[in-house]
Amino acid sequence: MSRDALAWCLVAMTVIAVAAIAVLVVRNRALGRKKRQAEDSLTVQLNAAKSQLLQTQAELTKYQKEFDGTIREAEEASEESTKAVLKGSASFLQSLAAEQMTVLEQIQRKYGGDAVLGDLLEVTHANAQMQRKAQGIAVLCGAPVGRRNRPASVYDVVRSAQSQIRNFRRVEIRQQTGVALKASAVTPVALAVAELLDNAASFSQQDAPIDVTFQRIQNNLCIMIDDGGVGMNDEEKQRASELLSGDVVPRLSQLGNQPKFGFPLIGLLARQYGFRVDVTGDSRYGGVRAVVLLPEGLWTEEQPSPVEQEPVSIARVPESGTTQSRPRTLNGLPKRASRQTPVAVASDDREEQPPRTTEDSGRTSGRSLGALGALQRGTLSGRNLDSSPTEGSQDA
Amino acid sequence: MPDEHDQDEEPELELTSALVPFFVITNGRALPSDQQYERTALVTALKGTSAAARTLSPEAQAIVDLVAHGFLSVAEVAGHTHLPLGIVRILLAQLEESGLVLVRKPVPRAEPTDRELLGDVLAGLKSKFGA
Repeated sequence: MSRDALAWCLVAMTVIAVAAIAVLVVRNRALGRKKRQAEDSLTVQLNAAKSQLLQTQAELTKYQKEFDGTIREAEEASEESTKAVLKGSASFLQSLAAEQMTVLEQIQRKYGGDAVLGDLLEVTHANAQMQRKAQGIAVLCGAPVGRRNRPASVYDVVRSAQSQIRNFRRVEIRQQTGVALKASAVTPVALAVAELLDNAASFSQQDAPIDVTFQRIQNNLCIMIDDGGVGMNDEEKQRASELLSGDVVPRLSQLGNQPKFGFPLIGLLARQYGFRVDVTGDSRYGGVRAVVLLPEGLWTEEQPSPVEQEPVSIARVPESGTTQSRPRTLNGLPKRASRQTPVAVASDDREEQPPRTTEDSGRTSGRSLGALGALQRGTLSGRNLDSSPTEGSQDA
Repeated sequence: MPDEHDQDEEPELELTSALVPFFVITNGRALPSDQQYERTALVTALKGTSAAARTLSPEAQAIVDLVAHGFLSVAEVAGHTHLPLGIVRILLAQLEESGLVLVRKPVPRAEPTDRELLGDVLAGLKSKFGA
């Protein structure tokens, strides 16, 4: 009996177990299905999110680019407008300084015999420096450099550059050349050389000399500027070369509080006018040797402008006695009216009339001519005595 | 080529002043006193100076050439070189220092005399010697 009961119990338990297993299996299957469904939907969502992310990223880079572009444009626009403002004001200063130079020159001629000339020379020096600064800023901002109508000897161009720096007395031009710069090259080369001289002066000791020499190398004319300052290291040299070539043009805003626009300015001028400047060499004093290399197109062998080279009239007083045949003016003074001819000569024989006296006698009355002649004869007889350094024996 | 970049609206500034200002010609030397080189002082080149004169500026050279064969007054030198008198004086000072020229001072003018004093002297002499 109890065995039966036990058997039934076992059967019942087995049935229950089987039923439980069946239920579990069914549930398990349902769960698996659910899980797969959930996974699928999640993957879809993930993909969607991923694509959204990509899209957003793309948009972000696009905006970034646009932003950069706008900044650049704004910077360029501000550079341009700054340049335009500066160009206008610097050009104004430039023309004023140029005008002032002309006026100062006239005043110096007018008061040439007075003590005030000394002060006028100082003022002119200050003005010449101001003119260079104004010129430099104007050119950097895109204005033309200013032109001269006459060719000039390269010696005078360097002297012009010399006049534009503060310590111009330290500059020594070692030789003269028979080479003239073409008119169009005069101002730009003078400005570039002035910047180089200024550099040489600022980076060397107050009393160290700055030597300028010229050399012809093949078809180029070289202006060499040697200073006795501290040299440049390789990095500085490379930076200088980049600026001087005109390849790298720094923004105005990058020039600093005490703007260093010398090299960028030279680079710009060199590029515009077709010459080259190099500062990588060493000078004979251990400083920097700057070389301005002017190609053949910028200079000629001819002697420079007729005005600079105005024929100098040479007055010859007869060494001993008088030479009857020599032309002279009636009043015995050297002739200034005709500049082309060598100046005439004084002699004490006024009976013989020279061929050119007619034009002069028109200006002077006969009486004063006679008086002047007598005076001159007296003077000359005094002058023709031996040139002893003692008190002259003129009876004028 | 150099003329291409001045096609801007404004014409390129023309520089009319002398390329080399006077203060560079004189190399910044101070003006000597007027008395030192009067207008009528006479200048001549000293002999045998051609070698030393090689390093002169063109303007100083022009003066040496001018006075190489005789005497010229300071005013005449200024006239011939078209330089202001003061500039010529500075250049002459420089040349005289380097021993390239000789400057002869003009004979000083007689002092203006007091007529009355002379009259008194004459009267005194007359009274003493009874002329």
